[in-house]
Amino acid sequence: MEDQQIVALYWQRNPEAIGQSRLKYGAYCFSVANQILTSPEDSEECVNDTWLHAWNRMPPHRPDVLRIFLAKITRRVAFNRFKSRSAQKRGGGEITAVLEELEECLAGDTDVEEEVIVKELGECIRQFVRGLPAREGDVFSRRYFFTERIQDIAQAYGLTPNNIMVILSRVRKKLKTHLEKEGYLHESGRPV
Amino acid sequence: MKAEDLYEGMEEIDDDVLDRSEKNKEKKRRRKPLWIVGTAAVLAAAVLGGVWFRTWNRSWVLKAYAIEEASYPEMAHYPNEYSLTFDKDYDAWRESQKALQQEPGYADGLEPFFAAGIRQFLSGEPGENRACSPLNVYFALGMLAELTGGNSRQQILNLLGVDSIESLRTQAQAVWKAHYCNDGATTSILASSLWLDEDVAFTPSTMETLAKTYYASSYRGEMGSEELNKALRTWLNTQTGGLLEEQIQDIALTDEMIMALATTIYFQAKWDSEFNESNTTEETFHAADGDITCDFMHSSADGAYYWADQFGAVGRRLENGGGSMWFLLPDEGVMVEDLLKDPQTMDFILSNGDWENGKRLIVNLSLPKFDITSQKDLAEDLQTLGITDVFDAVKSDFSPMTPGAKEIFVSTVQHDVRVAIDEEGVTAAAYTVMAMSGAGAPPDDEIDFALDRPFLFALTSPDGLPLFVGIVHQPVH
Repeated sequence: MEDQQIVALYWQRNPEAIGQSRLKYGAYCFSVANQILTSPEDSEECVNDTWLHAWNRMPPHRPDVLRIFLAKITRRVAFNRFKSRSAQKRGGGEITAVLEELEECLAGDTDVEEEVIVKELGECIRQFVRGLPAREGDVFSRRYFFTERIQDIAQAYGLTPNNIMVILSRVRKKLKTHLEKEGYLHESGRPV
Repeated sequence: MKAEDLYEGMEEIDDDVLDRSEKNKEKKRRRKPLWIVGTAAVLAAAVLGGVWFRTWNRSWVLKAYAIEEASYPEMAHYPNEYSLTFDKDYDAWRESQKALQQEPGYADGLEPFFAAGIRQFLSGEPGENRACSPLNVYFALGMLAELTGGNSRQQILNLLGVDSIESLRTQAQAVWKAHYCNDGATTSILASSLWLDEDVAFTPSTMETLAKTYYASSYRGEMGSEELNKALRTWLNTQTGGLLEEQIQDIALTDEMIMALATTIYFQAKWDSEFNESNTTEETFHAADGDITCDFMHSSADGAYYWADQFGAVGRRLENGGGSMWFLLPDEGVMVEDLLKDPQTMDFILSNGDWENGKRLIVNLSLPKFDITSQKDLAEDLQTLGITDVFDAVKSDFSPMTPGAKEIFVSTVQHDVRVAIDEEGVTAAAYTVMAMSGAGAPPDDEIDFALDRPFLFALTSPDGLPLFVGIVHQPVH
């Protein structure tokens, strides 16, 4: 079934919407969750939660790209579940490495008010990624949104893992500079 | 702030960026950079293919000489991602890009010319597709100013809003550089050329200025000969990506001409956020002389909607900082030609989205694919705009072009434009299009914007300069 037809079912409050979503995007959402949780049982539960959230959000939303709309929901549900795990249960997994990499962008600078962060950080990141050259934006998104393994990204692009790491490192540096400029971080070596 | 906050913030990355990043999952090995894969969504070209200089009397003909070629600024190639020196190459490429960036305000003062020019160049019979490239005309006029003296030059400077030829040079250089890219991946050149009669002695210093300031290449040969005509057509086709081949085949120099000046602009870009091909449907476009069926592309996304007294408008961004395309739909009962007379229309086109009456909401855009061409001799339009002497063999002053020149005049100013927008693939899917009745303030959170009747479009550069502007009466031939 076409995405727009599935969206129309949600808008009609037709439960078939969930059946069609599961059929078309169940496996996809599972992989999004499992990249974060590396647990089939937990990931399956996240996927089930995804349909409920989608049902509650459509209407009013009418997503243009249904797949990404669902991926965002699954990702959030899965990451909340990850955060609620105790430290020892979090295990290795890709998400740990991803968070460590993102930590580099912060470099110990954690003083900015939480409220500002919650409200505007997302928009700041959106603009940053939007302004990146396409290839950098894609590699960055696959690593830090989809939590994909570096080897998998490298394979998809026909590049070496080392090359992907170089690209990611460069973009993280740019992100750090961007966050500094936008006032989310103190500029390196200069007290504010 | 914690890494977790950053990770959660990634959720705000635009859907189309995430969609794009996943698209190559099923492909095995990509051999080209991402941004040159796929079909161009916006393709446009313009040629001002003949400011033909004619003379009644060729007895003053002296001797021929060589002219120097224009040399374009050097740009580092876009780096090869397989190269071991990728990082170094990338930095060099970024540096060469930055070197061409211009100070803000470099195009200040051009607005009155663009506004008056667009209004004039798009005037004509209702029902016809029309398009022009104001930037292309600007360059042709700039070069024409270099070739003229006295009142002939002054009339051009007046229209372009500059007080001296030196100011014109400074501004033209800045505009040229700001729109130049030739890095092996993207080609965007405002190209100019001079076609000179081999028997005429042209002033070397003037030709040098044209080569240096306007990056104009020059070619000499026998006017009217098939050889020179072929060379001219080849040059024009090369510069415009073959997009105007049909129109260019009619262009020919005749033996009574002593010089031709050609400027071109070629533009190709993808939508920043592509239209979903499966949403494209056949629908009715209400043209002035009857309904026609054509393919409508659809998108539904968060975006800005603008309005004025007589029109509503939306914009679509183009990829890789390629600028924007704006669509202006006249309110019900307002003819698209009426918009040309409305000062708000030009103000909006030149505002680059900085418009008071705007609101962010969900815009359900319904846009016909179109491919329009326009051919026009701008001689009359330019005379209406105050450039008269160069068209008059008695009053014209072409002394900077060639010593002893008499009774030379510009015979035609042929301006050919083609603009096409599309996306790949057509699959029917039901989609309800609600015609908008009247613009004015939009509803709270969502608006249907259906361009299903004649409308105005403007393709602007990242800095907001009008590359192409046109009226679509018939989206398809």
